[in-house]
Amino acid sequence: MDIRLESISHSYGDTEVLRDINLEIPTGRIVCLVGPSGCGKSTLLRFIGGLERPSTGRVLQLGEQPEGCLNPLTYVFQDFALLPWRSVRGNISLVLEDHGIRGARAREITDDVLARTKLGDFAEALPRQLSGGMKQRVAIARALAVNPAVMLMDEPLSALDSQTRELLMDDLIALWTRQPFTAVYVTHNLAEAVRLGHQIIVLSRRPGSIREAVEIDKPLGERGYADPDLESTQRYLWELMREEARAADEELLDV
Amino acid sequence: MSDIAARSDPIEVRFRGGGFAPKSHRWVGFAVFVLLIALMEWGTRTGWISALTLPKPSDVLATFRELWDSGLLFKHLGPSLTRLVVGAALGASLGIGVGILIGLFSYVRAGLVPLVAAIFPVPKIALLPLFVIWFGIDEASKYALIAFGTFTPTVVATYGAVDNVDRSLIRMGQSFGLSWLSIVRKIVLPGAMPGILSGLRISLAIAIILLVAAEMLGAEYGIGAYILEAGSLYDLERLFAGVVILSLLGVLVSAAISLIEKRLLGWRS
Amino acid sequence: MVKFNRRQTLGLMGAAAVSGLATPAIAMNKKIVVGALRFTSHSGSFVAVERGYFADAGLDVELRFFQAAQPMAVAIASGDVDYAVTAISGGLISLADKGAIKVIGGALSEEPGIDGQKILASDAAFKAGLTSPSQLGGKTFGMSTAGSSFHYMGSKVANAEGVEMSFKPLQKVGAIIGALKSGQIDAWSIVPHIAKPLAGSGAVHIIGDISDYLPQYQVTTVFTSSGNAADERQQTTDFLAGFGKGVSDYNSTMIDKAGGDDGINEMVDLIHKYVYTDRPREKAAPSIINGTMRINDGARLNVASVRDQLNWFQSEDLVDGGVTMDTLVDASYVETFEA
Repeated sequence: MDIRLESISHSYGDTEVLRDINLEIPTGRIVCLVGPSGCGKSTLLRFIGGLERPSTGRVLQLGEQPEGCLNPLTYVFQDFALLPWRSVRGNISLVLEDHGIRGARAREITDDVLARTKLGDFAEALPRQLSGGMKQRVAIARALAVNPAVMLMDEPLSALDSQTRELLMDDLIALWTRQPFTAVYVTHNLAEAVRLGHQIIVLSRRPGSIREAVEIDKPLGERGYADPDLESTQRYLWELMREEARAADEELLDV
Repeated sequence: MSDIAARSDPIEVRFRGGGFAPKSHRWVGFAVFVLLIALMEWGTRTGWISALTLPKPSDVLATFRELWDSGLLFKHLGPSLTRLVVGAALGASLGIGVGILIGLFSYVRAGLVPLVAAIFPVPKIALLPLFVIWFGIDEASKYALIAFGTFTPTVVATYGAVDNVDRSLIRMGQSFGLSWLSIVRKIVLPGAMPGILSGLRISLAIAIILLVAAEMLGAEYGIGAYILEAGSLYDLERLFAGVVILSLLGVLVSAAISLIEKRLLGWRS
Repeated sequence: MVKFNRRQTLGLMGAAAVSGLATPAIAMNKKIVVGALRFTSHSGSFVAVERGYFADAGLDVELRFFQAAQPMAVAIASGDVDYAVTAISGGLISLADKGAIKVIGGALSEEPGIDGQKILASDAAFKAGLTSPSQLGGKTFGMSTAGSSFHYMGSKVANAEGVEMSFKPLQKVGAIIGALKSGQIDAWSIVPHIAKPLAGSGAVHIIGDISDYLPQYQVTTVFTSSGNAADERQQTTDFLAGFGKGVSDYNSTMIDKAGGDDGINEMVDLIHKYVYTDRPREKAAPSIINGTMRINDGARLNVASVRDQLNWFQSEDLVDGGVTMDTLVDASYVETFEA
């Protein structure tokens, strides 16, 4: 299933945050959204998942949903959003219960996604017992459990330390390689973008609009830590953004 | 730098990070109790504290034993506990219900929050005669007083707790397409539970306070009635025995809530 | 126990008042605090203040008003109030037992032939057949607290009629009246100036007189702190002198009608400064006149009645069994009698 964004613009009161965004997210590809802070990239992600409505423009789903898809547009949040009172298994079964999936069938799905995220041994642990990286793996397992058409990832690694981040990037690449999924990946970290993105959309500062779309052809599985091929792309992206990032940094909030 | 180090003697860095870290010293509280009671006993025995000022703790104990032996303790405790349980259960469950509604629906909030704010500071004791007219002089008016007294703090604690539920969890629920009812049942309620329980701690203490007030009118038996009678007879031993029973009741209720917290909120550190 | 007849007492009081001129008390114009309730039964103090009898006795009296007798007794024990008049209650006896207070004289009394306290029935109970005290069996009787004078009266009446009642503590007179009017309780007893207007409204019915059961009931007594009774003899005598004169004026005007209607009117004006102040004079007057009961001349004390009350409180286990009349009463100040 593809996603198409048609001329999306948005304002909060008098503040225009997004201007005329047109974008296509094709099946099986990871599209990274980068841009200076406050450019509206997270807002755009909320529009795609229907958690917020744009002032003008629309978001379209094109084509069939994959088979067994319970929740076509599924988020992975920066703060993990795990229920602290439920175990790892409980957090995953939470999103299955509403679809009438309980008992053995729920167990089967849970065990599968926990195995895919290497969490098999921690099914009964409570979130407070887990490290940040593990928590995010639980959140990813939960997202996988509903077999989404598109994963909407909102800075999923930003709350983690850099080593954990590297490990999780490897995990995400391994997951995609085993079974390609479609994802919109919002990040401010260019290293993440060049490691994970098939396509990188650079947004300008507020009001955000698409400045450039950068394609990276190197297969995900062949990209590595401190990859020299990616280094140049990352540098190119940074040159694109540097001035705007500085300007955004010096802007007063809430004016 | 190295010049200076060579010239003068090294000074060990002074530790300045102590204090401000609460530690558990359970026995201190117990010792304070024992010391106070011993002081009371000594003072009343020597006459340094007059019989008019404080009763002898040993006499209070004897009064308590008399209460126990004569079976009067349970004759008083029975009705009081019934009033406490029925009244507090009514007030707390209504309060939690209304508090959740306020937390969930902005119209209910707009309509009821000012009302709750208006009745919160009303001394419920002042309304006792009114309750007697409405509900009769027997048990119903006592239930009503305690229920009313526990209702308002429970409402305020509950909607505060619902407001404080992590919005990102609710957003997560919505993003996974959970139904409204599922979000309330599985995310809002468990998330509000710590706040509701700590509110309940206060509400139930208020219920115990109101027990004495509720038994002002027409109660022949009950701890509150016992205390009031002792007060009007200026019988300090019975007065203190009654007060000690109320204190124990408070400790017991608090312990019960701690137990519930341990069971329901084990997921917190 | 020294007994005086009435003339001797008055003479003694006069002497005390006169001799008081020479005592230091008058030189200092000694300041004392007298506790009172806003009831006509406290008129002795009101008259003595208004007509300067306390001042004549060398005392600068400040009246302090209370809502109920119980806090007044505690205020005496704590030393905030020097003298007061109130009904004998379990609390009063307990305070005496703790060495805090002493009864030093008598005030309000039941007296056959003079309107005294009434036994009331609620309208509902009256219609259901409660028309005389003999039908009180199984009924509920209102009282402020256990060990109050209401408890004593109700219990005595039930005893005399050979019936059992249950007593409902309601703390305040207002609450008892509300409960009686709405039929939450069946019966109660109270002074006539409250009983009569209630019965007049039709919400309650008078079914008997307390004086039929307790003919010489010493309803209220004058009391003070043990310290005053033992160590401030002059001051206490001075107080009783002033109080006694106030009482004499009240009795002769209101009961013996010595001054005719003009005297009564003048007395009502005086009392109205303290009682029913929230009502206009014309509305207050009938209540004040209705409330007239004999206050013992010279604060004479009916020790027989006091003894009966003490025995009753002890038999009900409301006060310690070891309390004696000497613990409760200091009989050295006024004439005592047995009736």
